[in-house]
Amino acid sequence: MAALTQIFKIPDSIKKGAKYSFCPGCDHGVAVRLVGEALDELGLRENTIAVASIGCSVTIYDFLDVDSLEAPHGRALAEATGIKRARPDKFVFTYQGDGDFASIGMAESMHTALRGEKVTAICINNTTYGMTGGQLGPTTLLGQVTTTSPTGRNVEYYGYPIKIAEHIALCDGTAYSARVSLDSVANIRKAKQVIKKAFEIQLHGLGFSFVEILSTCPTNWKMTPQQAHDRVRNQMMEVFKPGVYKDITADRN
Amino acid sequence: MTECLTKTGKKVLTKGNYAIANAAVIAGCQCYFGYPITPQSEIGEFMSGKMQELKRGYVSAESELGAINMVIGAVSTGVKAMTSSSSCAISLMQEALSYAATDELPVVLVSVMRGGPGLGNIYPSQGDYNQATIGGGNGDYKLIVLAPSTVQECVDLTYKAFYLAQKYRNPTVLLADGMLGQMMEPVEFGEYPYPEIDNSDWALTGAKGRTSRVIRSYGPLADDRCVFLKKLFEKYKTIEENETEWEEFNTDDADIILVSFGGPSRNVKSAMKECRRQGLKVGMFRPVTLYPFPSKRLNELAGRTKKFLVVEVNMGQMVRDVRLAVNGKVPVELFNKPVGSPPEVDDIVNEVKRQIKE
Amino acid sequence: MSHIVLDEAKCKACYLCINECPKKLLRVGSKTNNLGDHLVEFYDPNHECIGCAMCATRCPDLAITEVYRG
Repeated sequence: MAALTQIFKIPDSIKKGAKYSFCPGCDHGVAVRLVGEALDELGLRENTIAVASIGCSVTIYDFLDVDSLEAPHGRALAEATGIKRARPDKFVFTYQGDGDFASIGMAESMHTALRGEKVTAICINNTTYGMTGGQLGPTTLLGQVTTTSPTGRNVEYYGYPIKIAEHIALCDGTAYSARVSLDSVANIRKAKQVIKKAFEIQLHGLGFSFVEILSTCPTNWKMTPQQAHDRVRNQMMEVFKPGVYKDITADRN
Repeated sequence: MTECLTKTGKKVLTKGNYAIANAAVIAGCQCYFGYPITPQSEIGEFMSGKMQELKRGYVSAESELGAINMVIGAVSTGVKAMTSSSSCAISLMQEALSYAATDELPVVLVSVMRGGPGLGNIYPSQGDYNQATIGGGNGDYKLIVLAPSTVQECVDLTYKAFYLAQKYRNPTVLLADGMLGQMMEPVEFGEYPYPEIDNSDWALTGAKGRTSRVIRSYGPLADDRCVFLKKLFEKYKTIEENETEWEEFNTDDADIILVSFGGPSRNVKSAMKECRRQGLKVGMFRPVTLYPFPSKRLNELAGRTKKFLVVEVNMGQMVRDVRLAVNGKVPVELFNKPVGSPPEVDDIVNEVKRQIKE
Repeated sequence: MSHIVLDEAKCKACYLCINECPKKLLRVGSKTNNLGDHLVEFYDPNHECIGCAMCATRCPDLAITEVYRG
């Protein structure tokens, strides 16, 4: 019998026996696993302090086996800044939703990027406030129906969605800003490399690194998991185009 | 002014804000995060230079929300850190203070009160007694609150604020006012007089060789939350038993006891002395800790005096705590000034005479 | 031989894995979870699994815990 090679395992950076509390088909689970895999591969677990935010993202400290601090809504990057300034030798990242990062926490997010804090922010963009029941958020697409845009997002009442990765790329302190999607296995694998790259940017002390992850919210979108992933691909990726918007290591080459 | 003030036994002349900042540096404050607001901006100015000189952490934060949350981040890793602000800007920090209290984090906040409400003005005030002792954050929590009355006490209580914050893992407020912040007096710094507290059993330092730690306030299960809050309030009880601090003068035979805290208590003390000189049996009581409030002692004193007169620069905030402490045993009257410099000594003396006649 | 390990206790019946398997070895099973949803099952009587881990990569719930190739 041929020897078996293990191709896949649950990362060590995820707590033993962890069972996610996310809804079926929600890509938070994939994102947390990718973060765990990146921490494993870079050997960071024992030197990491993670900052959880408010929303479904708060639960990461139940799953990631790293020291974690919970921040008030929108303040994750302020707390990450405090941690990094107090302990510059620690690896520090935040895990936030789009509402946390780009609405209530916009000031903290932009200024952390502008200061070039040597921390990493992972932002899950699912175009809605998931935990509170699917209200309109900063990334809700034009035309999208939510519980607070019952006839769809129109410009007159709601204005426009924000393209987060592009805005963060404009900050001089940003060393790396990218957007990835979890709509397909190929894109999940790409996302993993991007998260790893963002972590390496911090390890090299190059500045702020940022990854926006396009994700699903089947429950609040009132879709099946499969339909939700189709929506990411066909609607979200049309507006929020995946790509690397800034990489100062690439500029050097 | 960024040179570190002397920490030898020599007296130096300095203003309250610098005294607080320098004491924080001597206390081992590793990180300062702040946003400017009058009348405490000298603290941030001093810290910006000093912390960089000492290679410690400093950030000119984007807002008070940023500043207080940076402090939470820093102290969660076991280092000493602080921010300072004033009145309307401390309003912005209430959410984070609720988190910090629940997370049991040793945040140190210097609050240099100005006139309110709203934007108010930059005159001294005691209008934030309630803001500090009751708080504006959500849920059941308490902050330790220390109220200096001299520039020397600004130093001593800054040391104590760092110590108590660490000892009880509880956010601690140094509640000064614009007058103390701006006035100059001779002070001695000396060395940080308290032992260092070991925080290696809870601080976030990376889960090396131990299980990972989570500092969180989210408690989704009602029963767990009940257990947690009861435990938290056991801690507050311990703080009340061990750390309540006050000063009292001539209370043994006093017919009337003046109660005052912070900067204005200086005029109250002078008024008490003047009353005694005139043969009036007047005593004075000054809470140093506003939480824990010296209710027990005030209640004892209520058994032997005829009246309390609370003097404060607001519309009457501490007077409610005095009334709760006295619990109806004797009248508790208020002599207040809404905002600005403390009531003049003569005015207090006249009010005492009026109260005695009544 | 190549195979996967499926932890039924973690499967939330989103069925995303079913579409990923190039050999169509995952299917809706007869067992149900607490909510009455039919769980996914790995059915590979002819040992066709190639250990590509597409299913595990797609699974949002860590329900496919191990993948072996050989």
